[in-house]
Amino acid sequence: MKSLLGKYSNSSMTLVMLGIFVVMVAIASRYPAEARFMPFVVGIPPILLCLLQLVLDARARHRPPADASSDIERAQATASQIVGHQVEFGASGTTEPQLSPAETVHRELVLWGYFLGFIAGIVLFGFWVAIPLFLVSFLRFQAKAGWRTALPLGVGASVALFLVFERGLKVQVHSGFVTSFVLDHLSR
Amino acid sequence: MIEVMFGSLWAMLTSPQTMGLMLIAVLLGLIVGVTPGIGGRLSIALAIPFVFGMQMIPGAVFLLTMHAVNGTSGQISSIMFGVPGDGDDAATTIDGYPMAKKGEAGRALGASITASGFGGIVGACVFAVMIPILEPVVLAFSPAEFFLLALLGITFIAFIAGGNNIFRGLIVGFFGLMLATIGTDPYTGTPRFAGDYLFLWDGLSLVTAVLALFAVPEMIALGVQGGSISAVSRETARFSYRQLFEGVLEVPRHWWLALRTSIIGAVIGMIPGLGSSAAAWFCYGHAVQTSPNPERFGKGAVEGVIAPETGSNAREGGALLPTLFFGVPASSGMAVLLGAFLILGIQPGPKMLTDQLPLVWTLIWALVIGNLIAITFLLFICRWAATLTFVNGAMLVPFIVVVVALGAYVAEGQWENLVILVGLSIVGYGLLRAGWPRAPFVIGLVLGKIAEESLHKAMELWGFAFFLRPLSLILIALIVLTIAYAIYRNIRPSKALAGLRIVQ
Repeated sequence: MKSLLGKYSNSSMTLVMLGIFVVMVAIASRYPAEARFMPFVVGIPPILLCLLQLVLDARARHRPPADASSDIERAQATASQIVGHQVEFGASGTTEPQLSPAETVHRELVLWGYFLGFIAGIVLFGFWVAIPLFLVSFLRFQAKAGWRTALPLGVGASVALFLVFERGLKVQVHSGFVTSFVLDHLSR
Repeated sequence: MIEVMFGSLWAMLTSPQTMGLMLIAVLLGLIVGVTPGIGGRLSIALAIPFVFGMQMIPGAVFLLTMHAVNGTSGQISSIMFGVPGDGDDAATTIDGYPMAKKGEAGRALGASITASGFGGIVGACVFAVMIPILEPVVLAFSPAEFFLLALLGITFIAFIAGGNNIFRGLIVGFFGLMLATIGTDPYTGTPRFAGDYLFLWDGLSLVTAVLALFAVPEMIALGVQGGSISAVSRETARFSYRQLFEGVLEVPRHWWLALRTSIIGAVIGMIPGLGSSAAAWFCYGHAVQTSPNPERFGKGAVEGVIAPETGSNAREGGALLPTLFFGVPASSGMAVLLGAFLILGIQPGPKMLTDQLPLVWTLIWALVIGNLIAITFLLFICRWAATLTFVNGAMLVPFIVVVVALGAYVAEGQWENLVILVGLSIVGYGLLRAGWPRAPFVIGLVLGKIAEESLHKAMELWGFAFFLRPLSLILIALIVLTIAYAIYRNIRPSKALAGLRIVQ
């Protein structure tokens, strides 16, 4: 199933792009002639390109798999080609072992959860509530830092950002719908 | 000209605000360069909220200096630990790491830092020399050519970033152009793709879009990978300041090579789409080919450190040329910088040569002085800066995500931009996962408004006959040839440009 997903991931992206262009061109067709001119100029050619890309994706599925070497391995190959003998770099770049596809998807979902939760937190409770909560929870539970590291780092960074933006740059950031509602209610 | 040239230098040197910002920018640029996971274009995008509300010149100097010195510190991990941060650093690793293994890490670092700074300064000089040469060419460009130049810029970037498949790059470039049409139509006042959402009537926030397409996907990917390079032995990190000084002297000792590769790098930088990897690899290849002892390369030849470093940093000066005078960013990093310049009120184009020449000279001086400060700083702090390489990527992610969210909000002061940030981040991550290039998107988004304006003006002036103007025909031929070559390469994949695709 996973290899099937990998096999069709390029086509999925092409279909997403095709969908976006078709919808935008369809919406643009309702505008006056001058207003729809540019959306047509930049919207119709990529529809044709997406269709062509789908054909290329289909052809690529019947070809042997592409070179799966990493960036570093490719760089080593290029370097060896230039100097005429084998060149090896020091390390592959990370201590982490190669992740299984299931573990990758799991980690992706967790990280997207943090990100979406953070954005929702900002919209509902404002920046100055969401930032320290996000920083401390991410550092503690995702980056596996101890409370002694996560708390001072998270709170310290939040205070520093507050001082830079609210006091230094005089930027009034979003205070959050729930926070504003509660504060309004309390001030009455 | 001379008056403007030195007047700009004097004004910059005597402004405590500009010089102070430049010092901060150098320090931030060096830290960002050595820290894993944060690239040049990402650092510029992250810095945008902090220049919001700044005056045009100090803001532009801050961003350009930060961008220009980014690569100077990037080679530290390549030399000391054999772990290249990106494509141009990979070229430095070939000889830098063997030098470190031989106990000459200090010499390699001294040579690479000085070469990088030297390259940056020569790149700025090449840009300065090109101004009077290019002036008549730039001023000869009409709206017709500017429209085609926008398409050519996207085609070049799509060609390089898309590897064997130019169509993906073109599709992403058109996606950027399409999103640039969001907002009120300048001719009829019709709100396009904006509906009743007033925050979209002024167009899609460039900062939000750039952060969504680059910063968020990169951070998710960094969080998924996790880890640092801490397993690499720190033993090679030992070096002395005497060695470092010896390394510094290697650049004047190989001045002819350093000058040649700097000029090559600056010229490569002027060609939109050819990234710093291309400059570094091309210059490395040049050093090997012109050496009387090519067999030393790959085993710790100092020329193999000097050539890619001068080339990749000189590229920044060259890349400023199409970015400022034609509004066509030469790289995705320059595209983000161009977007930031637009926010600061700088309008790229031929008028930079007539109305904004003092600003152009200020930026050239910023490149020169920024690189001088960076060399001085880095020669003193490089042994400590190396420890930043061991920072755990997962610890950086939340801080960068916070700055991203602040940046998306502060750019327009609209909370709705956070929703746009989420939507485009999903698209950006999809592109990253599917291995599609994202650089053409930024070019498309940045050039969208200029392209539309130029197309309308060209149609009003010449109708469809604008395609038949001599300069237009040359640009059309270049676009067609680039696409045709990419299709040929797709049908018959070759290894000719493998080196250029190392990091996109």
